[in-house]
Amino acid sequence: MKTVVGLVNYGVAGNIFSMKKALEISGATVKIVETCKDFSNIDKIVLPGVGSFNDAMEEIENDGIKEVLIEMVNTKHTLGICLGMQILVNVGFEFFETKGLGILEGESRKLNVSYKIPHIGWTNIEVARECPLFRDINENDSYYFIHSLEVVKSPGVIAFSRYNDYRFVSGIHDGNGVFGLQFHPEKSREQGIRILRNFINL
Amino acid sequence: MKKVRIIARLDVKPPYIVKPIHFDGLRKVGDPEEMALKYYDQGADEICYIDIVASLYRREILYEYIEKVAKNILAPFCVGGGVQTTDDFSKLFHHGADKVVINTYALQENSEVIDKAATIFGSQAVVVHIEAKRWDRWWECYSDCGRIRSNKDVIQWAKEVESRGAGEILVSSVGNDGTERGFDIELVGEIVSNVNIPVIAGSGAGSLEDIKDAIVKAKPDAVAVATLLHYNINTIGDIKKHLHDNGVEVSL
Repeated sequence: MKTVVGLVNYGVAGNIFSMKKALEISGATVKIVETCKDFSNIDKIVLPGVGSFNDAMEEIENDGIKEVLIEMVNTKHTLGICLGMQILVNVGFEFFETKGLGILEGESRKLNVSYKIPHIGWTNIEVARECPLFRDINENDSYYFIHSLEVVKSPGVIAFSRYNDYRFVSGIHDGNGVFGLQFHPEKSREQGIRILRNFINL
Repeated sequence: MKKVRIIARLDVKPPYIVKPIHFDGLRKVGDPEEMALKYYDQGADEICYIDIVASLYRREILYEYIEKVAKNILAPFCVGGGVQTTDDFSKLFHHGADKVVINTYALQENSEVIDKAATIFGSQAVVVHIEAKRWDRWWECYSDCGRIRSNKDVIQWAKEVESRGAGEILVSSVGNDGTERGFDIELVGEIVSNVNIPVIAGSGAGSLEDIKDAIVKAKPDAVAVATLLHYNINTIGDIKKHLHDNGVEVSL
């Protein structure tokens, strides 16, 4: 049986297409999750990443899925990507203070750099703590980043990356089943697929 | 040091990639799906697809062609042409775009679409294309593939779109385009020094040296290449190697 990944669609903004395609290439069956009942019969959860912090949280509230989502994230392997990682933490400060899902300790803030924002580009990751997501990855591989936010004050950092000389958190893990990645594995060629495959095979 | 992105640019008049000659005559150069995959395999950092006649013909965006290209690409895919509303943005994302490029409608009709799109989708998903025509002392914004004037100053417009929430600017120069005489380095440099969002030098690469010169002198964040690739003069690999050998950081 293939692993069924529930891909949470935060309404208008979510880029479901590329995430769905990449998960399928990585060997999963994808089920789009928009309402509470869509959470049935899924093995894992992916929170995709296009949109703004408050819009995503608003959609999740409006769809009435917040409580179920939190409960599911606490019981199933979950991967938050880019914005999907940002909303895993307690609180975000993109345009104004917005509560996150509060699954992981930490805050989401605008990148603290004097360089251009958003940071867009391919760069490698420096693994800070061993993590099953990073099994068999090649340390020279680059991944695609496009973000204005960074997670700070998180105790669960598994990877850092650099924007020019600025070091920021590019991966977090709660120690159990919840992971966040700042880059887009679904847009990062074969090396991104390897990470998604590692997640699916957990 | 920052790494400069090398983007393969596909100007499309569905179902073909075309090469505009001074933005006027169009020459067919190939199939978008096939060529996008080729540039992806060569190591392009992004693929940029622009339907260059959608606005001009005032017709619907042709999503099926976009989706066909998107399905093969596990790298960022940037799509434009004929975009008017946030609903168009949304549909493009659902057909495989990661970023959406807008020009004509924002420039000529309603620039607030930039603010709206940035709020809903995030600035990183909104790319404004500026087609600039050089006059004696200024550059003027054009639309519809270099056909329609706007009377707007390029530098002012670049600052305005940044303040409205655009996440990136793609610059093409009308006149230099399709003529392979090199980038308008002064134009790109002016925009780069006037905004604090990434700038893509979008047209005019006639040789590897042109690309290197534009990067060294104008300091864009990315370069979009079309002709050199379409006519198999150079591959993405050749471009990256040449830049790397000349001290420009790229992702290899």
